[in-house]
Amino acid sequence: MTRRRAAMWVLGTLLYLAIWPLAGFAFAAVGVGDVLENAELPLLGGGSKNTFLSSKSLANVFVFFRPHQDHSMDTLRALASCDQEFNGKPVHWVAIVSGSFPVDDVKAAVSETGIKMPVLVDEDDALYRRLGVRLHPTVGVTNEKFQLVAYEPFHEINYCDRIRGKIRYALHEIGEAEVDKVDNPQRALMPNQVKGAVANRHVKMGEMYIGMKQPEKAAAEARQILAEDPRFAPAHMLLGDALAAQGHCDEAQASYGTAQQIDPSLAAAVQEKRHACGAH
Amino acid sequence: MIPMKRWMVVVALVALAGPAAVSAGSPPPASLPGQYKYPTVRKVNNKPLPEGEKAGSSMAPFSAGDCAFCHQSNDPKNPGPVKKEGNALCYSCHEEFQEIMARRYKHPPSVTACCNCHNPHNAKEKKLLHEEQTAQCFDCHKQIKSIAETSTVKHGALTTERKCANCHNPHGANIEKLLTALPFDQCVGCHAVDDMKDWNGVTLTNFKKLLEENKVWHKPVQSKDCSACHRTHGGNNFRLLVAEYPAQFYAPYDLKAYALCYGCHNEKVVSAEQTTTLTNFRDGSRNLHYLHVHKTERGRTCRACHEVHAAKQAFRIRESVPYGSAGWQLKINFTKTPTGGTCTKTCHETKTYVNKPLSAQNAK
Repeated sequence: MTRRRAAMWVLGTLLYLAIWPLAGFAFAAVGVGDVLENAELPLLGGGSKNTFLSSKSLANVFVFFRPHQDHSMDTLRALASCDQEFNGKPVHWVAIVSGSFPVDDVKAAVSETGIKMPVLVDEDDALYRRLGVRLHPTVGVTNEKFQLVAYEPFHEINYCDRIRGKIRYALHEIGEAEVDKVDNPQRALMPNQVKGAVANRHVKMGEMYIGMKQPEKAAAEARQILAEDPRFAPAHMLLGDALAAQGHCDEAQASYGTAQQIDPSLAAAVQEKRHACGAH
Repeated sequence: MIPMKRWMVVVALVALAGPAAVSAGSPPPASLPGQYKYPTVRKVNNKPLPEGEKAGSSMAPFSAGDCAFCHQSNDPKNPGPVKKEGNALCYSCHEEFQEIMARRYKHPPSVTACCNCHNPHNAKEKKLLHEEQTAQCFDCHKQIKSIAETSTVKHGALTTERKCANCHNPHGANIEKLLTALPFDQCVGCHAVDDMKDWNGVTLTNFKKLLEENKVWHKPVQSKDCSACHRTHGGNNFRLLVAEYPAQFYAPYDLKAYALCYGCHNEKVVSAEQTTTLTNFRDGSRNLHYLHVHKTERGRTCRACHEVHAAKQAFRIRESVPYGSAGWQLKINFTKTPTGGTCTKTCHETKTYVNKPLSAQNAK
């Protein structure tokens, strides 16, 4: 393979990765990445027909639901507040219900959830068939090209966050990496599990002791940290400060030197402290 | 004209940057979603324990007698007012809270005052807690207390090791309900051993192993949402299921008995005798789910054919089913075909179903 052809392969792969929408689940008949065909459906309770996708919006969000089903009702309630974040943005929302349910039942359910989006009725389930809708609720999100970028069946946890992430992706506000962060949030460590948290607390205590003119206690704090973690640079700095406050400039200089060796970004601070101690 | 090499570099850079390259605006500020329905200020005693009472934990400066860390004076009998108001005083040493309290979901009582839950001097409990941890949580979360106490099926996670903190971070988290990690990561984190037993002594599945060995996962498992089907604080359905599901292999068909599955799936998939849209497990329009399940006697429950969490083959079809009391496994021998599927020499003689014409398949 020539270098030129190899480069074209690499470019092609990169372009594919850049434009291909988020991988994920799928309706039974269409998957993420497929371009959806628009459809006109009547509004709940009559009136003119509406398309379920809008060509004027950057993001289309549609939720298939059914009345008398807890997950559907919970989802509509959640969406009623979830959509407020996108007020004024080019996002088109619709809820879609199968025509097999009595209109009054659907109206009662919708009114109870507080959603403001239009509710469209799939009278003969043609859209259900075309997409292959098997689960309720199911939220779909497309981009401005009607390309399906997300298929989200019910989630008990972080459902709104997931949907928000996909809408922001369709709006080109965030990229795939950020969507992944939303779908897989960082573990929430307990205070003592946060790296360096306990050692840092001792450093703070030591600094307080220096402020309270008790440098020997500050030195003890520093030594306690260093016994656990000899490479914790702030503890070497603290020890330097404690020794300097006691007039042990040579030893202080050594501690500052070790701190700088471990963390070169401390160079300026070390220089200043060395100068201060030298002036004693 | 842009030279070829430079053009390729530009395209590659755009491709690498992806949609982020056209990102517009910054994300909205994190908020406290929903309305918090519990008290955010608790009536607690933040004074030191009476002399002579043994402390389970102490604030380091307090035990060192250094009152002036937090108070205006170092005199233990008259320390005077604190140097900073509210949580700012705590955060001046506990700097990790800059990150913790910046998380998307915050526990409102911890935002209001650390002292709602922690005594700033000393306490009988660990972590300077005013009360035993679960009791303290239940002091506000009375509904969870009631579930935990009255449920007929219990979850050991509530009463072992770190109790509530096994799953929740009482300060702040990046996931709803202040979960420290997504449900799947929490659940599989513990249910990853062979000898774990439920509160009734029944051995529980090693999910780490099961999921490693079976790569076709149920969607809620794939999306790390165990809570979609299981109640974690306790419940009245076996296996802590959120809704009813038959525990036995054969059960007469009853819509209510499958409330768990129909929470997401369409009940018509079983109740409609004929369909061309609800399922692909059909021979023409003859619904084979209906045929297998919709029986007043010896109706098969979903698990007769499907693994619930994960399986080795499409649609999570089981490899075999238990047969008789001797532990013998009867193979299902399911094979997916271009036009449907077939089950060979199994509960019944070989049967094949066709759900789409071969011509349509070829046309694809």
